[in-house]
Amino acid sequence: MSDKDKITLPALMEEFQESNDFHLQPVKIGGQPFQLFYMTTLADQSVITKDILPSLRQVLTPDLEDIQRELPFINTVITTDGSVIEENILRGYLGLNHSGADECLMIPAKEEKIRDITVPEVEFSVIGPKQAFIEDIQTNIQLIRRRLPVKELKMIELEVGSLSKAKVAIIYLKDIANEENVNTMKQRISDIDFDHIDDSSYINQMIEDNSMSPFPQLIDTERPDRVAASLSEGKVAVLVDGSPTAITGPTTFIEFFSAFDDYFSSWHISSVVRVIRLLSVAFSIFATAIYVAVLTYHSQLIPKDLLSTLIQSRQAIPFPPIIEALFLELTIELLREAGARLPTKVGQTIGIVGGIVIGTAAVEAGLTSNVLLIIVALSALASFTTPIYRIGNTIRVLRFPFLIVAQLWGLIGIFIGIGVLLVHLIGLTSLGRPYLEPIFPPRVADFKDSIIRLPFSMQSTRPSLMRTPRSKRFKKEEAEKKKDIDE
Amino acid sequence: MTNPIPERNLISPFLVLFLINAMQVGVGVLGFPRYVAIDVDYDGWIAVILGGFLTSVAIWLIFIILRRGNGDIIEVHKKVYGKWLGGFLSFLILLYLLSLSLVVLRTYIEVVQIWVFAQLETWALSLVFCALAYYTIVKGFRVVTGICFISVILSFLTYVSLFGPLEFMEMRNLLPIVDHTPIEFLKATKTMVLSYLGVKMLLIYYPFIKQPEKALKWAVGGNVLTMIMYLSVSLVAFIYFSPDQLQRTIWPLLSMWQIIEMPFLERFEFIAIPVWSIVVLPNICLGLWSTSRGFRLLFSFNQHQTLIVLLIIVFCLSSMLQTRASIDLLNTVVSETGFYLTYVYLPILWLIQTIRLKGRST
Repeated sequence: MSDKDKITLPALMEEFQESNDFHLQPVKIGGQPFQLFYMTTLADQSVITKDILPSLRQVLTPDLEDIQRELPFINTVITTDGSVIEENILRGYLGLNHSGADECLMIPAKEEKIRDITVPEVEFSVIGPKQAFIEDIQTNIQLIRRRLPVKELKMIELEVGSLSKAKVAIIYLKDIANEENVNTMKQRISDIDFDHIDDSSYINQMIEDNSMSPFPQLIDTERPDRVAASLSEGKVAVLVDGSPTAITGPTTFIEFFSAFDDYFSSWHISSVVRVIRLLSVAFSIFATAIYVAVLTYHSQLIPKDLLSTLIQSRQAIPFPPIIEALFLELTIELLREAGARLPTKVGQTIGIVGGIVIGTAAVEAGLTSNVLLIIVALSALASFTTPIYRIGNTIRVLRFPFLIVAQLWGLIGIFIGIGVLLVHLIGLTSLGRPYLEPIFPPRVADFKDSIIRLPFSMQSTRPSLMRTPRSKRFKKEEAEKKKDIDE
Repeated sequence: MTNPIPERNLISPFLVLFLINAMQVGVGVLGFPRYVAIDVDYDGWIAVILGGFLTSVAIWLIFIILRRGNGDIIEVHKKVYGKWLGGFLSFLILLYLLSLSLVVLRTYIEVVQIWVFAQLETWALSLVFCALAYYTIVKGFRVVTGICFISVILSFLTYVSLFGPLEFMEMRNLLPIVDHTPIEFLKATKTMVLSYLGVKMLLIYYPFIKQPEKALKWAVGGNVLTMIMYLSVSLVAFIYFSPDQLQRTIWPLLSMWQIIEMPFLERFEFIAIPVWSIVVLPNICLGLWSTSRGFRLLFSFNQHQTLIVLLIIVFCLSSMLQTRASIDLLNTVVSETGFYLTYVYLPILWLIQTIRLKGRST
């Protein structure tokens, strides 16, 4: 930077004074005129009146270094650099300088207003910890550090966004996380060139391997326990100041369907639940499409008893199956969207009005068939079983292309659609690691915690997806020491 | 080789099992029992085993040739015959590989037209498949391998479906065992070997295998897996159909699927034929991938652009073939070429390569 571009203190003061919340207060220290300046909206007024002004009065020598020593504050800085002064003032620091001099003492007096740590709402679990991240990054890091009190827990801090200057922290466990993953994450975050970052989801979308894909490729979670568990598996986590969700990666497609509860209940139950969840996702995507395909093209496929049920429910419907299906699917999406935009109490009313009133009325008016109503309602319900919110949205959106191909080419169309989906998923990566693992590339060992969850005694190695330098979680031999009967 | 293949594009040796198996099991499995039955009636299952054995030998031969040449067939040809003759022979092999894609695509479309949508235009389905193949191949060899894997898993559906026809089996069809002359068996084995073709893609993707020496057992394993599937399909077809009926049934497996009944499903083939679209996808993709890769090495073309040109060629040719007779002719010609390529040309190549290597070492 040339000298011309360098910000001088008087110029800075002048620019700050254009804003009315900038306050400049003259004080006398050791008989010399000093000035104290800060943003009234950022600095804590009580700290100034209670702590800073009384201590300043006790200082006798008009020297900034003496003042720095006298003040009961840590993290004070003496600087002449205009850009440092600017940055600190805008982070809630106080500036103090001898009137007319360039040298300036910065005193931290930021007013902290943070909300309490609350119960997770998106990833609620009946049993297990009830803590969710909040907007303050310090608190969030503290929540993670408490769960992993080891010196290996490392943090890289970056600043992203030319306007927002969001603080971003990359967290990982040294020697457990693969350096390559950490570096990829770091590289991608520092490559972000955008002016305003509001939330971790901005970063999430910008650092994804393929931003053209409807599938999220990094997990976003609001649970500190989930992040800590991910870190101990060898993943890398990213926290963003001002955002109550953390990002973790690399991840797999299957992992999006594993709730953190699965680790709290016994492995048989969570395995069954996981399988049900995956089946419900498949049902959610394909059920209406298959209904449309079968009723439009392949009615031979249905046995005659079942066919008569279908025909009876459809005989009064004036539309072809595709119109009927699109109508109901859009209605459900409408209800969901209305429910999401409204406050909770009103939202419940919407659910009842929509679900019961519109549903029954549509059938009675002869707009849709009972069977389709059941299928659509079930598939909407199934799409809500996904533990990670973002993948649930993807699943819901995916239904529409499948409806269209089903109308065009029946089951052939659906299976060509599945082909496209499979090729897409096989090609996806998460931080450069295969997304569809352990299905492809097939890694039998990683099935222990994917579609099913085996007991902890069998989880002796970290997932090979992470390529972690320390793959053993515990000594398996000791855990599996064979005991004879009655020993 | 012009430039080494980056590590991240290589595949583990055991995935060769799926590459081999996916390439063999395609549309062929739907129709092959009839062809062996024409030659040796219901001793066909012996021909299935013999054919599988011969193919394993061919795989072994391919591995020997490529291991010595330390690269793909184009590299080997260049070393053995020099730039011009070698290049010309490689070009012919590439044309053959491309024709495999065409055969599979056109035959599958024919199945769809006969069994599901009689009115469906050939070009429409062909266009969609070409687009899907394009989407797969541009993502690279790893994704093509992935689709092979999925295809193998889906083809296991065949085993499940074979329980349906077992209800109507007639075990005595198989007896007496071995009542044909060796000449007839040879003929049947040759017919059967045609259904095992497709291992020749190995000639191109060999350098993509991490530690290719270890892949031989997996490749043979894939072939054995195919043999088991063919054996079960043909045995069930033999005990289900009467000899005369089988000789008049063009797609025995599809006809067997017709009788499967479930409480919610009356026509199983309406599900299975769409599933087969994913089973045949790797056949189409591997052929096109190998050819475009070969052209890139041979002529230093851009593989992406070559692929587009090849897709247009396959699309046009498949749309032009309209009659059952022309499709059958195409099948026969391509299979015959494949047979002579594998069992006549490759041994010759091996021999010449041996002589050359000896000459160089002395």
